[in-house]
Amino acid sequence: MLSRLAAIDPAPTIGADPSRSSLARRLRVGGSARYWLLMTPALALMIVFYVYPISRVLWISVTEPQPGLENFELLLTSASIHKMLLTTARISVLTTLITLVLAYVVAYALVHAGERARRWMFLGVIVPLWISVLVRAFAWFVLLRREGLINNILMTSGVVDSPLSLIWNETGVMIGMVHYMLPFGILPIYANMRDIDQRCIAAARGLGATRSEAFRKVFLPLSMPGVVGAGILVFMFSLGFFVTPAILGGGKTLMIAEYIKVQILEVVRWGVGTMLAATLVIVIGALLAVLSRFVDLRKLFGSI
Amino acid sequence: MSAFPSAGISIATRSMAWLIICFLVLPITIVFAVSVTDRPYLSLPHDGLSLQYYRSLLTSRAWHTSILHSLVIAAASTAIAVVAGTLCAIGCWRLGNRASNAVRMLMLVPIIVPTVVYALGIYQFWVDLKLIDSYTGVIIAHAVTGLPYVVITVSTALAGFDPRLEQAALSLGASMGQTLRMVIIPNILPGVISGAIFAFIHSWDELIIVLFIAGRGVFTLPRRIWDGINESLDPTMAAVASVLVLTTVVLLLIDIAIRARRTQ
Amino acid sequence: MTSIDNSSALSRRSLLKGGAAVIAAPAVLTSPLALAQQRKEVVLVNFGGAAMKAFDEAYVQPFAAQGGRIVLDGSGALNGKILTMVQSGKVTWDICDAGITTLAELGPRNALEKIDYSIVDKAKVPAEFAYENGVVNYMFSSVLAWDTAKVKETPTLADFFDLKKYPGRRMMRKDSQAMLELCLIADGVPQDKLYPLDTKRAFAKIETIKKDVLYWNSGAESQSLMRDGECVMGLLWHTRANVLKGETQGRIAYTFKDGLLQPGLWVVPKGNPAGAEAFRAIASMQQPEGQVKLLAAMGNGPSNPAAQALVPPDLRAMNPADPANVAVQAKINAAWYIENHSKTFQAYLDFISS
Repeated sequence: MLSRLAAIDPAPTIGADPSRSSLARRLRVGGSARYWLLMTPALALMIVFYVYPISRVLWISVTEPQPGLENFELLLTSASIHKMLLTTARISVLTTLITLVLAYVVAYALVHAGERARRWMFLGVIVPLWISVLVRAFAWFVLLRREGLINNILMTSGVVDSPLSLIWNETGVMIGMVHYMLPFGILPIYANMRDIDQRCIAAARGLGATRSEAFRKVFLPLSMPGVVGAGILVFMFSLGFFVTPAILGGGKTLMIAEYIKVQILEVVRWGVGTMLAATLVIVIGALLAVLSRFVDLRKLFGSI
Repeated sequence: MSAFPSAGISIATRSMAWLIICFLVLPITIVFAVSVTDRPYLSLPHDGLSLQYYRSLLTSRAWHTSILHSLVIAAASTAIAVVAGTLCAIGCWRLGNRASNAVRMLMLVPIIVPTVVYALGIYQFWVDLKLIDSYTGVIIAHAVTGLPYVVITVSTALAGFDPRLEQAALSLGASMGQTLRMVIIPNILPGVISGAIFAFIHSWDELIIVLFIAGRGVFTLPRRIWDGINESLDPTMAAVASVLVLTTVVLLLIDIAIRARRTQ
Repeated sequence: MTSIDNSSALSRRSLLKGGAAVIAAPAVLTSPLALAQQRKEVVLVNFGGAAMKAFDEAYVQPFAAQGGRIVLDGSGALNGKILTMVQSGKVTWDICDAGITTLAELGPRNALEKIDYSIVDKAKVPAEFAYENGVVNYMFSSVLAWDTAKVKETPTLADFFDLKKYPGRRMMRKDSQAMLELCLIADGVPQDKLYPLDTKRAFAKIETIKKDVLYWNSGAESQSLMRDGECVMGLLWHTRANVLKGETQGRIAYTFKDGLLQPGLWVVPKGNPAGAEAFRAIASMQQPEGQVKLLAAMGNGPSNPAAQALVPPDLRAMNPADPANVAVQAKINAAWYIENHSKTFQAYLDFISS
């Protein structure tokens, strides 16, 4: 809250003395250049080793097999691409929503936990990151299949009569993906919540708000930048996923990343594969632009 | 040090959080069980337990080499990504104009573009520069693709950081470097650390780029795990995962013990 | 071994960097005889794993005994990688362990060298598997396997599509190659009249059991699905079926009957660094002894007809190229795939994911 107030005036004037203020202006110019300097290493890395090679590849989308927008026409005409895009969107949106809700609960508990409990919780969040996607997929296979551990427990305890179909369908894909995404949702939300000024909530309570009112009206809005940031991260991540959907979907869940992989590596239709990649970049760029009309993205990324 | 009193949280929320943590940890229990399997393939133990895969982890040169390659590559690429990414996020945060917004968006691109497309691009590029199958090639590719994690987490941490602190430090005569080192970085450390963790894991678990740009010389852990995917998956990979998990737990316990002693 | 390879690669590289003069000088000074003795090293790319050791014993050592040098690279020669390398003009691979799909996709794109049949002996391979841009290295089959705990009698391919007779999940490969052929055989198409494939009819056949089919990507996955009882019948590579049979002490059985015999192919990327030496290496790998070793180690069927007689009796049953097994199988037709692979594969993926 305090930082928001400060945000209105990013460059506090230093004193009224004209000579000092011109000095300050010069400092600011120098400062701005210095901030660009801070960005230089990342920018250089990015432009030389990412943007350049990727542009070369994306260029293929308008040059192969013939120059023109032929590949992009497929977006309108190909039923195969339509279906795959729909599957991708459905799974990614659901994964993102579920992940955000679960991540929010964990992050909320994390900021409210005592030192010791927080360490153990963190351990639970970090440790799954060590396990390769392939091994995780196998672990889910052991847990979720018809004679798997989960169905066995549910059956013997009498919760269900017949085994649930937890794998080889979109349920399985979603379980695997949410599991993978959770740490990527929890950490940004936590980092943001940690910095919320607790006095705001104390003040709200002091003014007679109930615990849930204080949460809904004060804490939740203040924690939104973290949620949106985590949401963007998780959503973009979900779009590019393919090992988990390929295995846990029983081969029947075809998402965009695998589709592109097939085009590039197997049937060598580079024009189509790169067209889809270019489309993905354009669509996400547009989404972010639309989002920026409703949420202040600059605030989201910590700018003033 | 808890910023919030635990009074702000209900029992139900807390138990739900622990339940979600259990969901996160659940597959790990399977990984432990698989690591002591007596079968030659990835499976739960059948007729008895066996430590053969821990033995092969200790004795096999192939696995040693791969762990070493992965450690070197992940450490180097994380270092690059963290330094460049943190500075970039801070620069964007302070500059706070349209241009810096564009820069931030640019930094997100590697997680938008499917990895296989980048893999093809960097493969073409490295073929031209003769960097195929070199440490340098893999480290640069992993550093660049690890950058977004650092930029995002650090930016998010900066969102909650009071810029007047930095102003105060600068106006009190601290240099840019001092301000960074003594004011900004300590305040956003959790963001930097989680960015570093993500960048490290990204490289540690990255397969697709490596399948393109590595050959005989660079043989990272994911490649070792992938190797022979058409035969059977080697349970040694479960042993590797178990050792990593156990190491993390032991480190945490040591940390807790040290803290406990210090408070006594 | 790796370090030696690297240093030689390095020295070659620095030679190139040194410019034409440096290269020209030794070429002028060295006698033609010495140059001939300095044979080029041949880089052979396969898919790693157990094949590294098996190829070393079966191919690398015999070639070394003849004075040649093969270096193995297990990084996998996928179509997209070969094409990139060829287009960049900086090819580092000489021979790739590939298949019909590589022939189908890269042949028409002019990314493969023509096999030099004046060096590679056409008489040492079955005539139908010696193509312009690729030559058979070993044989494999796509076969029917079943779980004897749930399927008591030997099933036929028609039974694979009969859920009433044998309830339970089925398993197919996430690739149209061989799967469509087996569907058509199950539907009553005679083995010698499969091509051109009636893809509509094949899809209609899968449709009858579609909700009960899982699709495997990797060999490891196909094994795991059968081994753990997730599927009662499956269509998979004979090499994996054979390993499963051993692992489960016969609980999983398989048959070559109505399987599809396919060639693994050697292809040479256009502009390969070792030039004709690659074909000399391929010729050396046609020796029957090495091929029999590969059969024993990995189950890959020898391609040289002369090798079949050398196969020990206990290995004959698992040899897809054994005359008795060849007689009951259909054979893949590469010409059809060169025309139709890309659209058929895409249609198959669309079909199974809908």
